[in-house]
Amino acid sequence: MVKVTDIVLWDKPGERVLLLGNQAIVRGALEGNIAVFAAYPGTPSSEVTDTMAAVAKRAGVYMEYSTNEKVAFETALSASWAGLRAMTAMKHVGLNVAMDSFMTVSYMGVNGGFIVMVADDPSMWSSQNEQDTRAIGKFANIPVLEPSSVQEAKDIVKYGFEISEKYGQMVILRTTTRSSHMRGDVVLGELPEEIKQGKRKFGEFKKNPERYVDIPAFQRKKHLWLLETIEKYRKEFESSPFNWIEGDGKVGIIAPGLSYAYVKEALAWLGMENIRILKLGTPFPVPYALLEKFFDGLEKVLIVEELEPVVEEQVKLWAYDNDVRIPIHGKDLVPRVYEMTTRRAVEAIAKFLGVSTPIKFEEIDEKYKKVQEIVPPRPPSLCPACPHRNTFFAIRKAAGPKAIYPSDIGCYTLGVLPPLKTVDTTIAMGGSIGIAHGLSIALNGALSEEQRKTGKEKKVIVATIGDSTFFHTGLPALANAIYNRSNVLIVVMDNLVTAMTGDQPNPGTGETPHGEGRRILIEEVAAAMGADFVAVVDPYDIKATYETIKKALEVEGVSVVVSRRACALYRIGQLRREGKQWPIYQVNEEKCTGCKVCINAYGCPAIYWDAEKKKARVDPLMCWGCGGCAQVCPFGAFEKVREGEL
Amino acid sequence: MKEYNIVITGVGGQGILTAANILGWAALRAGYKVRVGEIHGMSQRFGSVIAYVRFGEEVYGAMVPEGKADVILSFEPVEALRYINYLKKGGLVFTNARPIPPVQVSMGIARYPSLEEIKRIVEEDFGGRFLAFDAEKLAIEAGHVVTTNVVLIGALTQTPGFPLSEDHVRDVIKLNVPPKAVEINMRAFDLGVKTCERTCLLFNFPWVFDCP
Ligand code: SF4
Ligand code: SF4
Repeated sequence: MVKVTDIVLWDKPGERVLLLGNQAIVRGALEGNIAVFAAYPGTPSSEVTDTMAAVAKRAGVYMEYSTNEKVAFETALSASWAGLRAMTAMKHVGLNVAMDSFMTVSYMGVNGGFIVMVADDPSMWSSQNEQDTRAIGKFANIPVLEPSSVQEAKDIVKYGFEISEKYGQMVILRTTTRSSHMRGDVVLGELPEEIKQGKRKFGEFKKNPERYVDIPAFQRKKHLWLLETIEKYRKEFESSPFNWIEGDGKVGIIAPGLSYAYVKEALAWLGMENIRILKLGTPFPVPYALLEKFFDGLEKVLIVEELEPVVEEQVKLWAYDNDVRIPIHGKDLVPRVYEMTTRRAVEAIAKFLGVSTPIKFEEIDEKYKKVQEIVPPRPPSLCPACPHRNTFFAIRKAAGPKAIYPSDIGCYTLGVLPPLKTVDTTIAMGGSIGIAHGLSIALNGALSEEQRKTGKEKKVIVATIGDSTFFHTGLPALANAIYNRSNVLIVVMDNLVTAMTGDQPNPGTGETPHGEGRRILIEEVAAAMGADFVAVVDPYDIKATYETIKKALEVEGVSVVVSRRACALYRIGQLRREGKQWPIYQVNEEKCTGCKVCINAYGCPAIYWDAEKKKARVDPLMCWGCGGCAQVCPFGAFEKVREGEL
Repeated sequence: MKEYNIVITGVGGQGILTAANILGWAALRAGYKVRVGEIHGMSQRFGSVIAYVRFGEEVYGAMVPEGKADVILSFEPVEALRYINYLKKGGLVFTNARPIPPVQVSMGIARYPSLEEIKRIVEEDFGGRFLAFDAEKLAIEAGHVVTTNVVLIGALTQTPGFPLSEDHVRDVIKLNVPPKAVEINMRAFDLGVKTCERTCLLFNFPWVFDCP
């Protein structure tokens, strides 16, 4: 198995390889001669970004980790306006951040092929909601492409560039967690000469204010253009290689995107033949001519799609307008929440056809439910040696359980779990500072208001936010809090990397895929904005961190404490690669009184309870040597030993 | 062979996605159609993790349907139970025997079931076969604990009915690891292969498993 980055760049057309959906998308972009790629990482889209970062230099592609999705969208868009093929990638909630630009640009169109790749997360494996991006495509009148396999994920990118250029409009490439994170066999295609030689491409921008300036007079005309264009796509999709009709019979199933795979599998499992399938790679707009062909002679139809009834509504509207009067089923048989599975497809199709399922799922469910009662929960946790654990521990000790703790999106959201319980709210990237400020106003009033001083006891509010998130959308919120005389403590948990999505760099790191960028220091930004108190601490020194936070809490106004220490997972990965060791801590049984502070208040996953001896113990295979336990244990029971001595 | 379904489970950070990838490549080299399904993001943070490997003449979805797994390869005993609904009747649960108790267990809010309890559920409630051995110990014996997943894969190749040849898998592992780690990994793989016999002795379940 060669390195993925090599495979993605392999000049071996016809070779069959195993790629992750997201990696296949990058290969497709390279085969499609992409010039510029910009994105902010977000699961499940992150590997598109990381894979591109790894090959960008060699392929002559300009690639950047932008600070947020809106900025990424604008960067890639400009390249398209300059005539280059460009792409941005984000998760579904990322599109909400880019939405302001996205909705307006839909009226302006593009020049070089421009793909907005959006990865949805049905079942919310690592997201705060499960919105359906196909509905946004429909809302914005932007065409949506959706692959049904890893092979298609690659091929559809090139197709996307072509049709985007043909009609001068961007296209959405929608994946889901499953298609982004599925590995499958892919046959490689040809790479263009420019990519093979790694030649950086440059474009040209031709001024045209009527097109690129969004004043009402211009945009009024362009809204019409938008509507005309989407109808052109509807025609185009009649002959799209990603749409087809297969099989024959009196009943039909429509299956967009990855649902096609589940439907095929379900039919095989049910042993059903004589079913006509409309496979749709273009869930919006649905090509009417294909519907006409598909519906011809059918007696009933089922639409198997994940999440919202986006295709169903289009099909039903078309059927009504065209006097097609046969039963059309969809969300009455297919659940509207969580991800599609083979089982769900089997159950829906079985009901639709009036047959029984091949195995009794309910029986498994019943037995399974009983088993789950004895299986202990295992939610993800902050890693051993995670600096966030220490920061939370210090904050809680300093501010107490009555303080309010708005937090943000990142690893540190896990601080919500016991024993730390230092996260009271999270809504979206950068939301912690906004919420903290709003609560401060609502509970204490603004510092500039006279009556605040006469008020009751001050509520302590401590917001936590990560470094990448701080740059993503924390900055405007911080400016707002300082400007409006808020009274909050903001702790920026700077682990020097965007950890949750896979260690991508950010302005606080300074690294870029093309080499050194300019590093921006969070404390300098906060000071320049006018924060009333600014300090930097090392969370591996719990006592010092605690004392600084105590001091910050006494300051009236906006205090910013930057708690800086490299992500443990990232650091251990580096040490392992370098063949280096790290210290391991152990419990001295003589000293351990069994007070359980290290477990019930601190909670490093490497520490477990020996129920027989009634002592805490350290799993040497999990300890990453931060020494935090030694600082929190009241009896000094944790002692350092070297790795290898065990 | 029409299709073969493997569910791999364990705790984040145990190398589950790597194991899935290795088996996926081995199946690809054996000429099968392949689907590997995995979940990223929170998966590394010591939470419960599941990955799917499916191959055969024709495979579509990346997830193994419930009740269809030929093998549940578990890197941690209790994680096998968490996903036991995937096991088909007569399927095999093959697990590393060393428990990693979740924080909730240490805190006393949850209980950790015993190996015997897990075995009973697998066999009696789900009609499966159960096999456990200390893969981690073997990995340390081979030279490094991170090779636990390779030990498990090696052992998996010896399970009855496993359709990929030992050599296909071995080759893929060789190509997958950095050159200086090849030796340790091959040792780990061989220990896994040999463990088949040892496991039967250790756990005294000779009826579960035909030792070659
Ligand atoms: S990945 Fe890094 S930041 Fe996230 S929990 Fe682990 S140590 Fe902490
Ligand atoms: S056991 Fe102690 S030293 Fe080891 S990672 Fe946990 S807190 Fe740090």
